[in-house]
Amino acid sequence: MILTGEEIKKRYREGKIVINPFIEMNITTNSYDLILGDKYLVYTTKILDPAKNNPYEIRKIPEDGLVLKKGDFALSYSKEIVGSNYYVPIIHAKSSIARLGLFIHVTADLIDIGSIGNITFQLFATMPVRIYSGMLIAQVSFWVPEGKITLYDGKYKGSSGVRPSEAYQDFRRGCK
Amino acid sequence: MILTGIEIEKQLNNGNIVIDPFIHEQLNPNSYNYRIGDEIIEFYYLDGKKMKRRVKIPSGGFQLEPQTIYLASTYEILGSKKYAMSLIGRSSLGRLSLFLQISANLGHTGSCHKWTLELVSMKPFIIYSKMKVGQISFWTNEGEILLYHGGYSLFNLPTISKLEEENDIDR
Repeated sequence: MILTGEEIKKRYREGKIVINPFIEMNITTNSYDLILGDKYLVYTTKILDPAKNNPYEIRKIPEDGLVLKKGDFALSYSKEIVGSNYYVPIIHAKSSIARLGLFIHVTADLIDIGSIGNITFQLFATMPVRIYSGMLIAQVSFWVPEGKITLYDGKYKGSSGVRPSEAYQDFRRGCK
Repeated sequence: MILTGIEIEKQLNNGNIVIDPFIHEQLNPNSYNYRIGDEIIEFYYLDGKKMKRRVKIPSGGFQLEPQTIYLASTYEILGSKKYAMSLIGRSSLGRLSLFLQISANLGHTGSCHKWTLELVSMKPFIIYSKMKVGQISFWTNEGEILLYHGGYSLFNLPTISKLEEENDIDR
């Protein structure tokens, strides 16, 4: 089952859902709209290798926006800290953003229960598009789990800001 | 409702979910991390004709060309006659621009096989055989279940689109 907007508000007030800062106006019928933060990350290497810690740069999104060219890939993050120890969050683009040809995640939309932090967006532009810090870019929905809950304790726990991939940690443990 | 990791393992032991081989450490709070197999299908053009070849992923990895489709399959047999499934990529690889499944993430109740994966990387990307590439989640159904028997449910190797077979693009 998916929570309605009213239920999200109720669970937020009970402390069962974390959204910080919380703006009541950003509640929709079945989700909550997320704001784009003010930084983005680009990898500075040509070939991305999950076995390595790929070099990257974090830059500020300019006041007058950042133009992503067709084919550009960058990471950014939600201004809000989002998560829940009771519900499963799923991230979606706002349809207005998708209609501009901009992906905000690359197939990994499912958040673990207990993972509470800024959401990292995986931005991919299929057309030139200008993005602004502070714009509504994505939405999060919350889903009811079945079964006993264990909380997330993985490598992105408590993410603050934009987080690059740490896939290489899997390789270090000798377990691809 | 989406099953928690503990519930996934419980239903696996009850026989309502198949994950073979199953490794407890690959269980997440609400999904299971699956691996990629050791073979990739790549497409290329010869005299304007679309061709395909199967490639074993070498031990040093296989480089995906950017914005190009490859097919592979899961290392595990995954399925359920009780739950619907969603098969997606891992965020660690999404953060490196790898799409895994292209908007078709829904697995029908009743399918049980090695799933064909659609890989597209936005930047050049190295894929390794048997690495953990994605997550499968299990969802409760509402309503009578008519099990899925058709389509691709019988295949364990990466399997190309039936549309291509029907259109005779790829022979």
